[in-house]
Amino acid sequence: MIEAQGEVFDLGYKHYDGPREGRMRARKAIWINGVRTALGIGRGWGSKVLPGLLFVAVMLPALVISLVASQVGLLAQGLPGHAGYYQMVSTLLIIFSAIIAPELLCPDRRDGVISLYLVRPLTTTDYLVGRWSAFLSVTLALVYLGQTVLFIGFVLAADEPGNYILDNWLNVPRFLLAGLVVAIFTTTIPLAVSSFTNRRAYAAAFVIGLFIISVPITGVLTICENSHGTQQGGLGSESGQCKPLTGKAAKWFALLNVGGVPIHVNDMIFPEENTSEFANLVDELPDVVPVAWYLLLTAGPGFVLWWRYRRIRI
Amino acid sequence: MVYTSPMPLLLEAKGLTKRYGATIALDDVNFQVVEGITGLLGPNGAGKSTAIKLFLGLLEPTAGSAEVMGQRPYESVESRAHLGYMPEHDCLPASITAAEFLTHMAQVSGIPPAYARTRAADILRHVGLDEERYRSIGEYSTGMKQRVKLAQALVHDPDLVLLDEPTAGLDPGGREEMLGLIRRTGREFGISILLSSHLMGDVEGICDRIIVLDGGRVTEAGAVSLFTQETQTLCIEVDDHLEELVTALAKRGIRATVEGFSAVVERESEEQYDAIRDAIVEADARLRRLAPRRHRLTEIFRRTST
Repeated sequence: MIEAQGEVFDLGYKHYDGPREGRMRARKAIWINGVRTALGIGRGWGSKVLPGLLFVAVMLPALVISLVASQVGLLAQGLPGHAGYYQMVSTLLIIFSAIIAPELLCPDRRDGVISLYLVRPLTTTDYLVGRWSAFLSVTLALVYLGQTVLFIGFVLAADEPGNYILDNWLNVPRFLLAGLVVAIFTTTIPLAVSSFTNRRAYAAAFVIGLFIISVPITGVLTICENSHGTQQGGLGSESGQCKPLTGKAAKWFALLNVGGVPIHVNDMIFPEENTSEFANLVDELPDVVPVAWYLLLTAGPGFVLWWRYRRIRI
Repeated sequence: MVYTSPMPLLLEAKGLTKRYGATIALDDVNFQVVEGITGLLGPNGAGKSTAIKLFLGLLEPTAGSAEVMGQRPYESVESRAHLGYMPEHDCLPASITAAEFLTHMAQVSGIPPAYARTRAADILRHVGLDEERYRSIGEYSTGMKQRVKLAQALVHDPDLVLLDEPTAGLDPGGREEMLGLIRRTGREFGISILLSSHLMGDVEGICDRIIVLDGGRVTEAGAVSLFTQETQTLCIEVDDHLEELVTALAKRGIRATVEGFSAVVERESEEQYDAIRDAIVEADARLRRLAPRRHRLTEIFRRTST
């Protein structure tokens, strides 16, 4: 007699009797999917190029500054610190956000996937918070990683690392807070713009254009007249020699440089002085003004984003 | 008109009204959906999609209520965890694989990641996409995309799925396959279905019950068998001697009209059958079929349009 060796499996439909975690699991899924989308995980190689380049671009200044500090010492003139690092990478972050952030919202509307999300245990607000926090997490991870490398580099470059940590430990909460200020700003504006179009390219072009065009506009409105009666751009002028053509209004016009908005707030967080002309002009304003301007330029687009999705029709 | 059933209620519309400005999409509609496969029939603009969106909580009723298992999805998003939805329009991302998409949608429905992966694989096998699950959805044919749309509606094992025009855009072969899959979902998987369609053929073959909407109102509702009952018309189909048969029937006082190979008479009494038998013998006609004619669902549309 031949002994049976096979086994019969029932491949019929089986009802799911495992755990159901409801709305909280749905929110987590939206967040995880947003992080994966921003980093290009689970997608083609093309989607991974830009996040990869940005990672290199953000890490490179931190590594270079650390190496220079180890060679010439921490007190070398012109060596950027934690505040200077944010000034260097904020432009990169803006470009990254402008290109990648629309990827988290535009395809869902263009492909109609949003209609599948909103019939599940998930509200519009859950969806938006999930996407927003996913992109914020990626941006934060990038800037914190760079700052951590920089801090470790400074510690290793110091003659007495223990003393450096004791003297400079406050830089850690400072760069954490300042990173949050930069990341919230560079996350909210591109996402708000993305709510107006299904085309990623349009959203990216608009955001990059907004940041680029605000620099010359601010430059013209804060243009200086030097002692020889000739004009020179506000940007890059030496501190103390600038007599803006727009007079006392120039310090208000200096706020129009969109890319500088989070940097003005960060200038209050870090003890180092920012010597750029726009920063000098904004310094003449009461501290509450740049903070309120920052809050307006983050809360405003945040509200617009929410309002656009409240009106969405499927 | 209120359609009620002794079976457990899955959906219930109570005085359901939806207006878009001056346009009335649904006007004080009352009906119930119970276990099984229910067809929501009506011409374009009848209010079918609006009704589905109200039950999914995507729209807020202007008046009345749309309840899902006793809950109102517009107010309680958790109740949507037991619903599945397959929209008529495109709703699939092109750049990711079907396996990844379904795993994600299972998680968005509240299923933990480890279980979600298993469910995604199971459902893709059930809809016949087991071999293709690691291909990007953008590379799929229309029929395969329709299967993915159905699969995402089933991946979290809902109690009820709402299918909005599931055969739209499919060729005859693809349509038959999709209808077969829907039939299996309802009969073998035991998942109740509300199927919205303007195609009678889709509904007639697979639904247990129908609700007919027209102009935002319920015009007919009930079991499909009610609408396909026998009529008072008898159909006598013969292979030959049709004219002789009509003459023989007339001699016996039975007025018959000719339709194709059949003589059609209005049934008046049981004794009439004896007279018809005698007439067939007299005409020497070879009888192929003698049966009462049944109503067809298409007549509902004719009634509502007149």
